[in-house]
Amino acid sequence: MIDDDLVWAVRAAVYAHFAETGHAPSAAMAGARLGLSEAEAVAAFVELHRRHALFLDEATGAIRMAHPFSAIPTDFVVHANGRQYWANCAWDAFGIPAALGAAARAEMAYADTGERVRLHVPPEGAADGARVHFLLPFTRWYDDLVFT
Amino acid sequence: MAAWCHERGAAQGAKLTVAQVWALSQAWYGNRLSPDYHGRTREQVRAIFEGLGLRGAFWEVG
Repeated sequence: MIDDDLVWAVRAAVYAHFAETGHAPSAAMAGARLGLSEAEAVAAFVELHRRHALFLDEATGAIRMAHPFSAIPTDFVVHANGRQYWANCAWDAFGIPAALGAAARAEMAYADTGERVRLHVPPEGAADGARVHFLLPFTRWYDDLVFT
Repeated sequence: MAAWCHERGAAQGAKLTVAQVWALSQAWYGNRLSPDYHGRTREQVRAIFEGLGLRGAFWEVG
């Protein structure tokens, strides 16, 4: 059983890497930040996935999401601190600036029309009546995170 | 949005204004980079939703 403090330290290392680079670290990279072996970091990744603190690609074991960050390119792009980040959804495009504590420019498309939209975050004014649609109720958010 | 949901056989969810989403983002993700963030309890989730006026079955924590 992996030490609980170590699990959360790996989580913090993953998020620090995302914030600093815009990309997900491999287990080896996350482990190296803490002086851990790759195997120890992999074990922490799996435990964090079990706790919904990370979401791993089941086929590869690599990080797929560390909300609000996405490890793979998406249609929800955030520019902040001179870097580009991918968000998992429209909400997460606001979540990245919130997590970073930085102003940002977010680019996405309306789901129903496909029209591209650019927003400053924090939002300025009423943003022309735009709405963000949450498809699933909270109790189902973790059923299928890619669909959510 | 109704047509988009219908095409996918999905019920319409909740529509939040940009201001509401920003407020939720700050409450939900504002401390996500902190090494002290160790997840949150259902009670903490409920407090966030209630604090932002997000009520009803959609926001039930269970």
